[in-house]
Amino acid sequence: MSISRGAPKRPFSSMTSRARLARWALSGPPLTFLAIFFLIPTLIMALASFGWPGREGGFSPLWYHDAAGWHFDFTLGNYRDIFTLRLFLVLYLRSLGYALATTGFCLVGAYPLSLVIARARVGYRNLLLLLVIVPFWSNFLIRIYAWMIILGPQAALSRGINAVLGLCGIRAVNLLFSPFAVMMGLVYVSLPFMILPLYANLEKHDPALLEAARDLGASAWSCFWRVTFPLSVPGVIAGATLVFVPALGAFAVPDILGGTRGIMIGNVIEMEFLQARDWPFGAALSIILTILALGATGIAAWAARRGIKAYG
Amino acid sequence: MARRLVMAAGMLAFFVAGLVRANGVLHLYNWNNYIAPQTLARFESVCRCRVAYDTYGSNEELLARLAAGATGYDILVPTGEAVQSLIRAGRLLPLDKRKLPNFVNIDPAYLNGFYDPGNVYSVPYAYTVTLLGYNVGKMRALGIPTDTWAALFDPRYLKRLRGRVTVLDDPRELLAAALKYLGYAANDVDPSHWQRAAQVIVKAKPYWAAFNNTSYIRLIASGDVWLAQGYSNDFFQAEREAESVREPFTIAFSVPKEGAVLAVDNMVVPKGAPRADLAYQFIDFMLEGRNASELTNLIGSGNPNRAARPFIRRALADNPAIFPDHAVLGRLEELRELDRKQRRFLNRLWLEIKLH
Repeated sequence: MSISRGAPKRPFSSMTSRARLARWALSGPPLTFLAIFFLIPTLIMALASFGWPGREGGFSPLWYHDAAGWHFDFTLGNYRDIFTLRLFLVLYLRSLGYALATTGFCLVGAYPLSLVIARARVGYRNLLLLLVIVPFWSNFLIRIYAWMIILGPQAALSRGINAVLGLCGIRAVNLLFSPFAVMMGLVYVSLPFMILPLYANLEKHDPALLEAARDLGASAWSCFWRVTFPLSVPGVIAGATLVFVPALGAFAVPDILGGTRGIMIGNVIEMEFLQARDWPFGAALSIILTILALGATGIAAWAARRGIKAYG
Repeated sequence: MARRLVMAAGMLAFFVAGLVRANGVLHLYNWNNYIAPQTLARFESVCRCRVAYDTYGSNEELLARLAAGATGYDILVPTGEAVQSLIRAGRLLPLDKRKLPNFVNIDPAYLNGFYDPGNVYSVPYAYTVTLLGYNVGKMRALGIPTDTWAALFDPRYLKRLRGRVTVLDDPRELLAAALKYLGYAANDVDPSHWQRAAQVIVKAKPYWAAFNNTSYIRLIASGDVWLAQGYSNDFFQAEREAESVREPFTIAFSVPKEGAVLAVDNMVVPKGAPRADLAYQFIDFMLEGRNASELTNLIGSGNPNRAARPFIRRALADNPAIFPDHAVLGRLEELRELDRKQRRFLNRLWLEIKLH
């Protein structure tokens, strides 16, 4: 069976030259933009990650020419340090853990909500969607600072929790500047990125399929697991990628809410560039991060193809 | 009709403003809140120019911005070790002292820093001391000495202060304090001494509430924190804040007997400054006693300018933590620039401290 996924075969070879020109004209500007502002900087960074830091920060030249001829000054030391020092391994694993947990919590939280929105009356849907998007109207940093106040020791939330803990004879906890605060912040900022792709997918499901399943005796649970969820896998994968990749490189959230106990690899990269003025090492750290993000996207794309094959 | 009149008036005002500011724009790249507004306004009217005030939060930020190619600034106000870095990178303009007649106002004790012997490139602007600030009543009640770094590092004292202490979120400053506590110099670069200092920090860390560079002012002024490592001018602000809301306690700050870090911020002119002429005018203007005094009166920073003393409020001028006498000054050390290997080592040590 196929639900609006039967992409018509496009005979590329028979495209007219005019159509080809139009295609390039349309995709050219964004491609050029990405090449200049993403591809080239990434390549520079990759190159820089094999260098030494300059005396006063910045880079020491990778090659130079003097009376004795050309000199090349490359090193694998930055990568060797990343892979051999326990410190950085721990930081990457920790960031992966945060990103995975964020994706998991977002999925669990967003799925029922997306389902409710997708199955709401058409008139309500747009209103509900608007409510999901409303937080974007205020600045990202302001929303994170708001969490700083909400989780702060003087706020009602902390005081309430600590009052209950006190009754049970447990020592008071500090919500702010903790891994908990980082999780809270990451899930909060990522949630819409899970809801929107899920909704886009769920909204297209044909209700007749569920009716058919019911008629054939499937329970509500069985309807969900064997009809709705398999069909929504592409949406889940899209949402998971959109949440996982930014969460992996998160910087502002752990910086503001994490204190020292919630430090992530993004903060370390910032420290390398600013505090330590060690650009090559920072570049190496972020190249590894880019590879991890690309790996995650690759797995998602592969899973999406598998999922479509299995259920499509 | 009315609208056209308003427009004409607006254009006229613009034109007049343009005449007043005919002398162009001075680009000042300085710390946040590091010049008194009235001083700035007075300079604008004297030079008949406009001052574009851009700010940074740390020397690293300043150096990173410049390393990334930021240009167009006429004056920077970096701390000593950053001045050294800029000089070594060949980024500063040697200053012609004949154009700075007020240079003689600077107290010689603050001249000839390690970073710029003979002050070829730099003119001292203001300074701060990194020291201990505390809640006087609490420390007395708990019997904790306030004249030693031990209050910050010794678990014996920290047991009574659990969760009421903050330290600076700055590897150099915190390490320097720990080194001083151990009896080493703040500029000691022996890796084994650094390791020992890191151990001291790791042992004390569970008792600290936070690593914090700015909000300790509020935390100590509100009574939430009783002891903090911080800058003299910040504690001055906290002291006034606690006073102004009539808190039942007082805040004080003092230089530990083991010694502390002195940070002298200097006016420098980057090479390629578009308006070096205005920059000279600005430096000499800021060297005048009254102009120099206004910053101290505003934020409680130390002042290397002798001619400023008569204009400085008594409470400030008499505070030895803001104006250290020669005995105290002898125990203060200015941080030197680290080389790239030391920076790398320090950063990893710092990460380990934080992850511990």
